[in-house]
Order: sequence, then structure tokens, then C-alpha cells
Amino acid sequence: MHGRVKVKSTAQQEEEKRKEREKKLKIYVAARDACFSKRKEGICDDEALQITQQLLSSNPDFATLWNYRREILMHLETVRDEDEVQKIYQAELSFLESCLKVNPKSYGSWHHRGWVSTRLPRPDWARELGLCDRCLSLDDRNFHCWDYRRMVVKMSGVPVDQELAFTDRLIGSNFSNYSSWHYRSTLLPLLHPESPEPHSPCREPRRASSPPSPQTHSHRVCEEQLLKEYELVQNAFFTDPNDQSAWFYYRWLLGRAEREEMISCVYVSRDEERVAVAFSRPVNAQSVGLLLVLDGQPQRVEWRSVHPRFKHSPVWICDLPPGTISDVTNEHNLTVHWTEKHTHRDCALYTGDAHESWCRDSATDQELFRSELSVEKTSVLQSELQSCNQLQELEPLNKWCLLTIILLMRALDPLGYEKETLAHFQTLKEVDSMRSAYYSDLCSKFMIENTILKMEYAEVRVFSISDKNVTTLCHLDQLLLVTHINLSSNQLQRLPPQFAMLQCLEVLEADNNSIENLEGVFHLPKLEEVHLKNNKISTLADLQPLASCPKLKRLDLRGNPVTQTANIESELTELLPSVTDLQL
Amino acid sequence: MRSGLAESVVAAAFSRVGQRVLHLDRRSYYAANWASFTFNALLTWIQEHHEESQPEEVQDWSSLLEEGEELIYLLNRDSASITNLQVFCYADRCHGFHPIIQASQTEGEEPTTAAGQSQSEPTRKKISFAHLVKEGRRFNIDLVSKLMYSRGSLVDLLIKSNVSRYAEFKNVTRILTYRGGKVEQVPCSRADVFASRQLSVVEKRKLMRFLTSCVEETEEQRAYNGRPYLEFLCDQQLGDNLQHFLLHSIAMVTEDTPTEEGLASTRHFLRSLGRYGNTPFLFPVYGLGEIPQCFCRMCAVFGGIYCLRHSVSCLLLDKDTNRCKAVIDSRGQRISCSHFVVEDGFIGADWKREATPTRFLSRAVLITDRSILPSDSDQQVSMVTVPPIAAGCPAVKMVELCPSTMTCMPGTYLVHLTCQSAGSAYHDLSPVVTRMFRTPESHDQESSPTLLWCLYFNMADGSGLEGEGHDLPNNVYLCSGPDAGLGHEHAVRQAQAIFQKILPDEEFCPPAPNPEDIVYDGENNSSSTPGDGETLEGEKEKEETLEGEVEKEEKVEGEVEKEEKMEGEVEKEE
Repeated sequence: MHGRVKVKSTAQQEEEKRKEREKKLKIYVAARDACFSKRKEGICDDEALQITQQLLSSNPDFATLWNYRREILMHLETVRDEDEVQKIYQAELSFLESCLKVNPKSYGSWHHRGWVSTRLPRPDWARELGLCDRCLSLDDRNFHCWDYRRMVVKMSGVPVDQELAFTDRLIGSNFSNYSSWHYRSTLLPLLHPESPEPHSPCREPRRASSPPSPQTHSHRVCEEQLLKEYELVQNAFFTDPNDQSAWFYYRWLLGRAEREEMISCVYVSRDEERVAVAFSRPVNAQSVGLLLVLDGQPQRVEWRSVHPRFKHSPVWICDLPPGTISDVTNEHNLTVHWTEKHTHRDCALYTGDAHESWCRDSATDQELFRSELSVEKTSVLQSELQSCNQLQELEPLNKWCLLTIILLMRALDPLGYEKETLAHFQTLKEVDSMRSAYYSDLCSKFMIENTILKMEYAEVRVFSISDKNVTTLCHLDQLLLVTHINLSSNQLQRLPPQFAMLQCLEVLEADNNSIENLEGVFHLPKLEEVHLKNNKISTLADLQPLASCPKLKRLDLRGNPVTQTANIESELTELLPSVTDLQL
Repeated sequence: MRSGLAESVVAAAFSRVGQRVLHLDRRSYYAANWASFTFNALLTWIQEHHEESQPEEVQDWSSLLEEGEELIYLLNRDSASITNLQVFCYADRCHGFHPIIQASQTEGEEPTTAAGQSQSEPTRKKISFAHLVKEGRRFNIDLVSKLMYSRGSLVDLLIKSNVSRYAEFKNVTRILTYRGGKVEQVPCSRADVFASRQLSVVEKRKLMRFLTSCVEETEEQRAYNGRPYLEFLCDQQLGDNLQHFLLHSIAMVTEDTPTEEGLASTRHFLRSLGRYGNTPFLFPVYGLGEIPQCFCRMCAVFGGIYCLRHSVSCLLLDKDTNRCKAVIDSRGQRISCSHFVVEDGFIGADWKREATPTRFLSRAVLITDRSILPSDSDQQVSMVTVPPIAAGCPAVKMVELCPSTMTCMPGTYLVHLTCQSAGSAYHDLSPVVTRMFRTPESHDQESSPTLLWCLYFNMADGSGLEGEGHDLPNNVYLCSGPDAGLGHEHAVRQAQAIFQKILPDEEFCPPAPNPEDIVYDGENNSSSTPGDGETLEGEKEKEETLEGEVEKEEKVEGEVEKEEKMEGEVEKEE
């Protein structure tokens, strides 16, 4: 149409752009080669500084050039006086600023800025802090900037309270910000440390013999501040219960007690002349300095984990030199020292026909399974549970809320809330079906914990958890002393290597599962009966581990695919000569 | 004719697609009733309106008639759209009555000694009228008070057409409401809800849930169609707090507004939220008067001609075709045209199909000494909703601007109040003003901002104008003046409708090309890069001169030059 502004066509623009790019590339390559050759010759002059600047301003991710630049700058430091150096570095900082505008997430630029800032004779930290704030206001999740900011804060000694106010500001403008919440979690213990006297004596380990290790509660925050934080984070998850950052911070606030490191159990068996030791966490007994003293005599023993797969394990066993405890008329005193942690545990094998002896803390004593959430006071947990229940009423299908309620209930009273917990798990699996397997596993874990607690209260060595939809096994180190385990009618697919920690096991009932792997039924010295009716064991090789159990007499394999194999009976007799009662 | 928002958008749209545009305004300023004035210019404007009561004589141009033509005289009474002007100045009388002359010597030096002022508060400097006049250039006082919805049609248009490059914008930083005698912040964004101290956590959840749920239309909502929005809100069990916020501040509707309308307006608010900040609104730096001027500039850049203090006195109608062939300007020049767009105020009532009698808006402009709700930052731009303070009173929309919006001098705030007229502006708005600000008439309001100066007036409400059905030549199109709505939807819609009626196959305001992509006559396509650089600079210069022109026209010296140009243009047209 007449009088209309004519505009270049797209093809024309493309062509122009292509030419432009070609030209740029030529210049770039030439400059790069010039740079490399200069570096090779070890030239550290202003020209080199200039060329690298040109290159880096178009491509700030060229690490070699940054290195070269640092070489030049360090050289200049030696030949120029302080004022000049200051000027050079200041120019460097403003150059870096322009690089960061090109790419605010350039590793090279941020690293170089950190380097320059520490070399600067008279650094202006306030300016750096301002730069970080500007950057974070543009993108509050730029972790490069967060890192650099932490360095600036450290170097310039910004007061902690000021930093906390900074996180307040960021969270206020958008609370979906893991960096800010996390930063808060590192600042709070510094600014409002927990008062030195333990505020919840009932939660302290009952054994007074060993003082709590220094890191046990060092990350805790004083109660007054904690209550404020609960309020803050509740505001966040009531505002948007689907935002996970607040929930994660909440879980941190509720606390995660670290278990005291110790030897939790020593077991000695006279018949097998064997000692089994359980630790509070998986260790490598061969390297932690374990010392076994029998009747005042240090013994040279060979520690081995319960399964060759484990380099680290909570349970370790060793054979005593033959004959050392066979004398039934003498009492034998055994001490295992964990020299690295300055802790030990004694165990006495009394006279008479006692075949075995042990010394341990029961799981209930240690509040073992509550440590996941909270070293917090019951009253606080109770009121937090109330708020969460309130939210759950409004948002009955919110998975974060449900999960937090479950955790709070477990921290408060795992057995008392068992029914509600199971119901909530059911809802969780429905509303978040993508993670239903995770919830099943978590639920299994909690059910196992509850069963262990019940077993401890009953003071028996029988562990029975049948028909509870258990999908996975855990806490098997707690079952070191169990002689009879009933896992029937669950959804187990395997007896994992950890199962070998059941060193006292005599009877294994695992009918009506989906077990196809018996890896963990390995070197169990007392195992006599194995019930595996209606499982999914399909080959003879799957039964191989059973051959390592010397006392196995009864084996029930009815309803397994393996029973369809030709010559199965004779093959089995050959594989398991000790078995006298085989059901196929 | 006339450079209100709709007219300016139309002008830019036509100019952009290659049409020749001549844009006239009889005033010496752009933007008509959408204009912004410095304090001094506003005083002049007030003065003019007081003097302009006598009707101007109508010149007879019938001698210019040609065969088969008929004259339609335009009215010269655009000033009729403004009535009931009343000015009050308290600047020198707040704490004792200083005559103005004396105040000019003290120049805001004396600290106040008002009783009840807390110790910690920094002593308030008194600002005198003379001070306001002296710093008058720092004010940009809008005649209309509107905000731009971040996802409203004006923002979309500014972005789409690249007109946005001519202006800067600021976020409205908070939404406030007047409730139970107190000004409160309305939590509307996620961050606000999180930070709010007035709401319990349960209320927070309910509010967030309501806001997320009402984005989608549901069966439950449809069941309330035709019933009041308030009823719908009540049934959501939100509680009084939330109900107030949702009805008055977010939907900004009245208690009897139907649910579907309330929800639509709530959705409009929510859609705009979070695009540029924590509120749905933007405000142009230097005032709303910038917006029509930006479109005028776009028009000029693409060859439109501007003439201020120049108007059309009559239209020449071709009786056979019922089309306006040409217009005669105030100096008796005949200018031919193919389409004529004019503000409806110029067209006699006998030509128009007036659907409803002209409604009016009540406006008040206040200059105060501090914010209505002081906070950490003194640079807040606040939208304040004031529900009817008594039964039968109108709901008032209030916008408080801080100095960083470049609409008022440092140390002051500019407050705009708007409502549908029931009586005069003073009658409608002064009760709210005396209640919320400290004036000599108000009592016990030591903590309220002091009112320094205020202006009341009524302005015709442009929302009553019908687009179709007027008894006009079929190439004459009407634009209305500012409407009562908070956004600019009405004017943009009007402009777009006019454009599409005239050029149904053309794009409305396509993006303006980048200067480097423009091809000039004589430039061959395979030009080398240095050539490009030259044209780039050339273009810049060109644009500058064009922009310079627009600015120049505001000056008196530009007058002669402009007239010459104008004549040249007329010749070309013929």
C-alpha cells in the first residue's frame, strides 16, 4: 500500500545476520589464537589483558582465558604499586559486571569475581553485597550468586542478624525459595542457639555413662525462636500447601535427632564360639579400631560383616579362638571396645549350661524410631499436629500435609496412632499414586518399627508381622536376637543381604509373599526351618544361599515355580544334604 | 479531532498502516480530558474553565459550500464535560492562618507543633501554597484517575505495537481498603497472603483456595448467576474479613452486583496479578496523560501531522452519499478527508442517539503531606477502595501516588478520588476526604495525612456512548471521553472498533519495526555494513526530529512553523 513503511524481509534479515555471525567468528578465532600464542610465550602485558577481555565479554565461559587473565593480573601485582593494582582490579570488577549481564549464571565469571574480590587491596564489600542483592532480585534462585554472596558475607563479616533479615525479605517476596529457607537454617542456630541445659531431659539417652556427642544437638535453635519459625512456616504452607520448600524447612525445624554413636548390642554364643556386635550405625569394623577383650585378655580376632556384600554394616561377627569359652564352670567376661569413639560394651557369659548371652539397650530405651522427627517437646509436637490437622481438614488431599501428620504422629506415639497412620498412608497412595511404592515402603518401615517396639515390650524373641502389606524389610540389625520370624502374607519380593543379620534365627516363616530371591538367608548358624510356601522362587540357583546354613532341616517350597523343575528333589538333596523334611 | 486516548490510538493505528492522518486538538495540550498538568498548568486550566462560560460565536462558513454539499456545525463546547469545579487550599492554614504572602517568605521552614504527634515521628515540615507553585513543575496531575491492568487490553496494545518504548511504568505496590475507620492492606498476591498479619492461617488458606478456585468457572458458580455476588461469597464461608476484601477490593463491585459480573471482575484482577509485580496494576511514570501522547508520537513517527489549538468548525456533507467529504477548520480552510473521527462532545445532541442521559463522574484531586498508610518504604503507589461510608453513598476508588511516579513533588503525595456522581463532586467526595484526611473541618485525626490542596470537579462519563445508530454521515465516527472504569478497556475497544470498521482487513497496531529493519528509498538491499550504520543513524535523527516536532508544538515559538507545515499539508491533501 502507498505510503507504508517498507521493512526488510525475513530472508534479508537472516542473510545479514549470517554474514554478521561469520564476521564475528573470524574475529573471535583470530583473537583466540593470538591469546593462546601469547600465553605460550608467557607474555603478561596489557594487550593480553585487552584481548582476553574482548573474548570473554562475548563468551564468559572460556575458563582457559580466565586462568590466563589471572596469571596476567598476578604478574601485574608484582610490578605495579598498590594504588595501580587497586585500579586494575576495580576495572576488572566492572568488566565482570558486564560479563554477568551477558550470562548471569556463568561459572567462570562468578569464580573470577570471587578471586578478584579476595585480591583487591581495599575491597568494597558493601558494593559486592549490593551487586548480589541486585542479582538475586532478578533471579532469586541463582545459586552462583548465592555462593558468591556467602563468600562476601564471610569475608566482610556481615552480622548474622542482618543476614537473617535478608532471608526474611526474600522469603517475604516469594517463599518458594529453597536457598533462603536453607540459609535460614544455617543462620538460626548461630543467632539463637539452644540454651545449654537440655530442655527436654526425658529425651536424653537414659544411660548417663557417655556424654552426648558434641554434634548431637548443635544445630538446634532456642525454643522461643523456634515457635516464631513454626508460625512463619505455617503461614507459608497454609498459603500454599503445595509448595514443598516450606514443608522441607518445617521438617528441619521439627528436628532430626542424631543418634548417639555406640555399640548397641554384644551377643556371644558358646556353641558356635562366636561373637556378634551391633552398632548404632553402619561401620567398617576392620578400620574403626575394634578391640575384643575376653577375661582381661585382648584377643586377636577376624571381624567379618554378615554378608560379603557389605563393607559397612551395623552388625559384625567374629569367631573366638577355639576353646576360649567352652569351659562351663567359669564365668567369662567379654568387653568390646570401640576405641575410635571411646565407648565399649560388656557382656558376661555365666557359668552353667547357658549357651548364649547378650547385653544391649532395648529399642524402646533409645527412643530409636522417634529420632526421625524431633527432639522437640511433646507439647510443641502436639500443637503442631493440631495445626496440621486443621490444614488437613481444609485440604484433605494434600500429600505434604498428610505426610507431615504421619511423621508427627510417629514422633508423638507410634503405637497409639497406628490406625490413623495406616489410614493416612492409604489416602497418600491414592492422591499421589506416582509415589505409591515409596509410601508402601515407608509404611512398611513404620510397621516394622511398631512391631519391634511391641516385641520389646513383650520381651520375646519372636518377630511376627504377617498380613501387613509389608513391601520391604528394614531395621534388621534390631532383630539380631530374634529366633523366630513370621513374615507370612505380605508383599515381599526378596530377603535382602541384610537379612543375614538375624544371627540367632531358627525358624523363618515367609509363606504367601512374592519372594524370588533368598540372598539374605546366608550363613545363619542356627536356622532349622524355612517356610516359603506360595512364593516365586523359580530356579535352583535361587536356593543356593540356603546351602550355607548348616542346621537347615525343614524346607517348605510348595507353590513355587521351582517345584516344576525336572529332578528337583534329587537336585535339592544334593544341594541341601542337611534337609530331612522337604515339601514340594 | 481531539487527542483523547481513543482518538490517539485510532490515529496511531491508521498512521502505522500507511494512512495519512491529520490530528487536531483545539487545546494547547494533548490528551483532552485524559491530560496531565503541572500544578501551575492545572491552576490555569481551572482558571480557563471558570472563564469559559460564555458561548463562542459561530462563524458562518456557508460561502465555502460547493454543489450538493451541506454544512454540519460542530459544537465548541468540549468544556461542558467538566462542571462543578471547586478548589480548596489548606496549605497555609493548617496550623494557624498564614496569609499566602507571608507563607512565601517562610517557605515551609516551620516545624509543626500539632498536639498528639508522637515524639519519634520526624517533625513534619509544613508545605506552603507558594512552595507548591514553586515546585509546580514536579506535579503531573491527571484529570482522569485510572490504572492499567497488567493483562488488560491497553497493556497488550502497548506491547504489541511497541508504543511501550515511549513510556515507563511503575507497579502499583499495594492494594488498600478503608474499613471500620482504618486503612488496611488487602492481601491479594501469594506473597501478600503469606506476609499478612491480619489473617489467621485458616483464613489464609481459605482465601488462597477461593482465589485459585474462582479462576475456573464451575457448575457451583453458575448456580448463582443473577444472584448477588455477596450471597455467593457468604455461602463460601469465608468470614467477614475475606468477604470485605473480595467484594470491595478485588472484585471492586457493590453488594448487589450479580455473581457472574463479580466473578468476571475478580478473574480480571487475578489474571493481571503477578505479571509485573504483587498487584495487578501499572501506572505510567509522569502520569496517565503520557499514554495518549505516546500513541500520538507513534502516529507522528509514521507520518501523522499534529496541530494543537486548531479545530474543525464544520463538516461538509455530500448529500448524495451521506458522506463527509471535507471539513472546514477554525480558520476557514477546507480540508478534504475520507474519514473523520471526533469526540462525541463536538456533535450536537440532535445527531446522536443518546441511550442514557449523560452521567457524570465525581473527581477529587488532593495534595497531602504523607501516605494514608505509612510503611517501611515511603515510595508506595496505592490503590485504595473505599466502600460506601453510609447507605446510599457511592463506593470511591482512590489512588495514592508517591513522588517517584513523577506526579508530585518530594514530600507530598497526590491522591485521586473517583466515583459515580450522585450530586456534585464536592457533595459526593468531601465526606470521604474529611474522614480520611486532616482538614480544618475534621476532628481527632492527628494521625491522618494533612490535606494541603484539593480540587473537586465533575467530568462527563464516557461509558454511556453507543458506538452505532447515530444519525451521522457514514464516515464520521465518535469517540467518548474517559469512562468510569478503573482500566482502559473501554477506550481501547472503541478505537479498535473504529479501526476495524474503516479497514476491516488491516492489522490493528502491528509491531513497529526496529529502525535497522526499515528500508529507505534509494537504499539497495545488498548494502554493505557501513552503509547500514549510516542509515541507522539517519533514522535516529529522523525520529528525533519527528519527536522533536511533537514536543515543539507545545511551545509557542513552534506555532508559525507549524502553521506553514499545516498549509503545505492541506495543499497536498487537495
